[in-house]
Amino acid sequence: MRNILQEIKNFVRSRSIHVSYVDVGSCNGCDIEVLACLAPRYDIEQYGIYVHNNPREADVLLVIGSVTPQWVDKLREIWDKIPEPKAAVAIGNCPISGCVYARRGTLTTPPVENYIPIAASVPGCPPRPTEILNAILSVAPIIFKDYEEKQP
Amino acid sequence: MRSIVYYVREFLRPEWLKKFFSVKTAPLTTPAYFKGYPTLTDKECTHCLTCMMICPAPGAIAVLRHKEQWAPEIYPGHCIRCGLCVEACPEGVLTSGRILDVTSRDKTAFSSWYRLEVDDNLCMRCGNCCVSCPVNREIDPQLAGTGTSASDEVIMRIEGGRVTILHEEKCTGCKTCETNCPNRAIRVARMVEGVQGGEAEA
Repeated sequence: MRNILQEIKNFVRSRSIHVSYVDVGSCNGCDIEVLACLAPRYDIEQYGIYVHNNPREADVLLVIGSVTPQWVDKLREIWDKIPEPKAAVAIGNCPISGCVYARRGTLTTPPVENYIPIAASVPGCPPRPTEILNAILSVAPIIFKDYEEKQP
Repeated sequence: MRSIVYYVREFLRPEWLKKFFSVKTAPLTTPAYFKGYPTLTDKECTHCLTCMMICPAPGAIAVLRHKEQWAPEIYPGHCIRCGLCVEACPEGVLTSGRILDVTSRDKTAFSSWYRLEVDDNLCMRCGNCCVSCPVNREIDPQLAGTGTSASDEVIMRIEGGRVTILHEEKCTGCKTCETNCPNRAIRVARMVEGVQGGEAEA
C-alpha cells in the first residue's frame, strides 16, 4: 500500500516541479537566461516545470548572483520557507565563485554554499537556457524520487 | 451529432493522447559551433602566459605543469566563455567552437606592447626605476646611482631631474621598476590591440 502511494507521489512529482528564483545580486544576465527558458523555444512548462516565484509553493530554488551583504540573512529565510522536499540550484558563475565581482573593493560575499545547501550548480556567464533546463531536470528525480522512503 | 462523435474518437486515439500529455521536444542540444569551455588541442604549450594575461575573469585560467609539460587549465566556475584565450594563444593550444577557424580565415590576431607611465606628482626623482631595469643594465652597464645615463638607447633615464622615457618599445613587462619604486609613481601597463592582415607580433 505504501509503495503504491509512493509510486503516485513519484509520478506526480516528476511532472510537477515548481520553481522559485531569487536574484541575490547579479548583473541580470542570468535572470534573462532563466526567462528565456519560459519562452516558446525552450518552453520549460512542457517538462512540467512551473515558475511561481513563491517560496512557499516551490520545490526548486534557483539562486542567481553573488551574495550581497543585504541578502545574507534573507536568503536563509527564503530557503527555510520552502517546504520539504526541496533543492537549490546555483545558476551562473556568481553563486559559485563570484565571477567578475570576486575582486578587491566589491561588496559581495560568494560563494552561496556558505548560506544554503546547493544541490547543483550551473557554471557559465551566463549559462545557456538548455544547461539550466538540464540541471533542473537532472536534479529533480534525485531529490524527489522516493523521498518519503529515504527518510530515516 | 456526427461531428461530436468524430471529435470524441479523434481525441481518444492513443497517439493523440500520448502527444498531448508527453514532452514535445527533448532538451535542445548545444550546436558544435557555440563557444564552450576551451579545450586542449594536441599543440604544445610554450608557457608564454598570453592566455592568463588576456583573461578578463579572475581565476579562470592557469597554466600548470604536468610532468615536464605545460598546459593551460580552465576552471568552469570562473570562466565566462569569452574565448579571448583561444584567440590570443600564438600556438593554438586551446580551441573553442569555431574561433580558430574564424581567426585563421580573417587573419586576426592580438598585438601587445607595454606602456610606461610616471606620475610626476608622486615621483621623487630617485632613479631607482632606471637603475633596477634589467634592459637598461644590459644596454648601459655604467648606469648606476642617480639614474643618469650617457646612452640614448636606454628605456628611461633621469634628464634634468625628471624621468624621461626614451624607448618604451624595449620594455619586456617584468615590472622590476614598479617593485623598486618607493612611491608607486611608475606604472607598467600591458596594452592589447586587435589587428587584421598578418602584421601581428606576439
